[in-house]
Amino acid sequence: MDTAIDIVLKLVAITVAFTVVLLIVAYTVLAERRVLGLIQGRLGPNRVGYGGILQPFADLLKFILKEDIVPDKSTRFIYFLAPVIATMAALMTMIVYPFGPEIAIPFTNITIPLTIARFDIGLLYVLGITSIGVYGIMLAGWSSNNKYSLMGGLRSSAQMISYELALGMSLIGVIMMAGTLDLGQVVENQSGWHGTHWYILFQPLGFVIYLIAAIAETNRVPFDLPEAETELVAGFHTEYSAMKFALFFLAEYINMFTVSMLATTLFFGGWNVPFLDLIFTRGTFIFGLVSALGFVFKICVFLFIYIWLRGTLPRFRFDQLMNFGWKILLPLALLNIFITATLIFFFPNL
Amino acid sequence: MLALLFILFAGLAIGCGLAVVAQRNPLYSAISLIGVFISLACLYVMLAAPFIAAVQVIVYAGAIMVLVVFVIMLLNVEQEERGRARLKFLVPTAVALSAVLIAEVAFILVTVQEFRVNPSSAPSNVGLTHSIGAQLFTRYLLPFEITSILLLMAIVGAMTLARRGGLLSPNARIVPGAQVLPLSMVDPNAEPDDLRPVAANTSEEAARTLGITKRD
Repeated sequence: MDTAIDIVLKLVAITVAFTVVLLIVAYTVLAERRVLGLIQGRLGPNRVGYGGILQPFADLLKFILKEDIVPDKSTRFIYFLAPVIATMAALMTMIVYPFGPEIAIPFTNITIPLTIARFDIGLLYVLGITSIGVYGIMLAGWSSNNKYSLMGGLRSSAQMISYELALGMSLIGVIMMAGTLDLGQVVENQSGWHGTHWYILFQPLGFVIYLIAAIAETNRVPFDLPEAETELVAGFHTEYSAMKFALFFLAEYINMFTVSMLATTLFFGGWNVPFLDLIFTRGTFIFGLVSALGFVFKICVFLFIYIWLRGTLPRFRFDQLMNFGWKILLPLALLNIFITATLIFFFPNL
Repeated sequence: MLALLFILFAGLAIGCGLAVVAQRNPLYSAISLIGVFISLACLYVMLAAPFIAAVQVIVYAGAIMVLVVFVIMLLNVEQEERGRARLKFLVPTAVALSAVLIAEVAFILVTVQEFRVNPSSAPSNVGLTHSIGAQLFTRYLLPFEITSILLLMAIVGAMTLARRGGLLSPNARIVPGAQVLPLSMVDPNAEPDDLRPVAANTSEEAARTLGITKRD
């Protein structure tokens, strides 16, 4: 009986978390269009609802109602499977992140953790699921039976394989300092010094490498070669229309959200809001609520950086991309591991 | 509950395993193999070995199979034709070998039934990252390091094979995704079907990159 209640509770938690995240993602799209407008000296969408606040729903309606065209010579099954893999993989990483500390529900004596699932290998789980996400893009490129799609898919997989290495290596410094792969524990470790013991203070190089590699992993500007519109029409999703295109679109934005979440969790203290424990007692409802809001705020800052970069930077050339990933980022990440190991050896109490 | 999940993932693993062999299209086989790896990872999680499960997904499903799919896509491997079976002796060999395998499994099943060990109620931490790391860097340090050297040798070997001396001039660069020109287009003395990847937009540029002076 207890397992049944447990499963129901988990399902509720998953539904709530996914709804919140998808809402934030929907509004990221709107924010991107408005901020890009601001950067480029125009207005952006501001007609649907007050200041364009209902634009995401109008977009969704449009995507659902549009005609869904399947290319004649495509490999049907894989063509349908690819967007599903991309979105599923993007959503699945969501469950391990600690959205906030344990909170006590008011007027009861129940405390619930603001994490859907907490396990020993949280970080490895994230990396594993992220690496599954590559298939969505690769298979989409292959199954469309279109040379632009295929080129986009190949480029994307080459890029993601290369930058996954640098990404994984840049995280090892944090793992060594935290001594665990459990994301909840990593955040707990950062709550010292009244919630300002963030790993960014000790791992600035690791963070920079992570940020760059994460942008490349999500195929965003300046690393958006898989869908370079001047060369490849639209890259791997050239042949996708209506809701299937929307799924790829969604996957890209969810991925942006999750890499921002990982950056916040590992480098910026997760839900730790500086000096909050001086104002509220730990474990109370209000403490948990403010912490969770702080977590979301930090993620939004990262999302803004993404949009900002898109509005300001030109695109890499493919050989520059490969040289940068293999010859600069990867050695730097290894150097970071070496420095961190040396520092930990001499100052174990840092 | 656990039994249900076990049946689900074991069934998935077996189904995907059959599909790997049965599919005619190599890409379908590759995707089925990914399915096998992921189902196995789920089974590892149920066996309280989360680290192995994560490594299984990252290394096999996430890295090796990506390369396999990549190569299939690059070479554009066609659907396998059902041709005349040439190696006919393989069929009885396969039957015999699978009979041996089934016998082994049956033997293990029977033995396990006979020597039933009561599972300890204490949660085991053998499969956790911490204990695996501690064991790898103390008790099994030598095998661990030897394995890394083996991998290093493989990498160096691949590098030497890829850039064997004299094939490319030192200033030649291979760029993934760049066009492949038949060497005969830039070098009149070359074999007609000599394909060599060169980072160039024109044949003149390719000739310059390869250090070939065009003779008239």
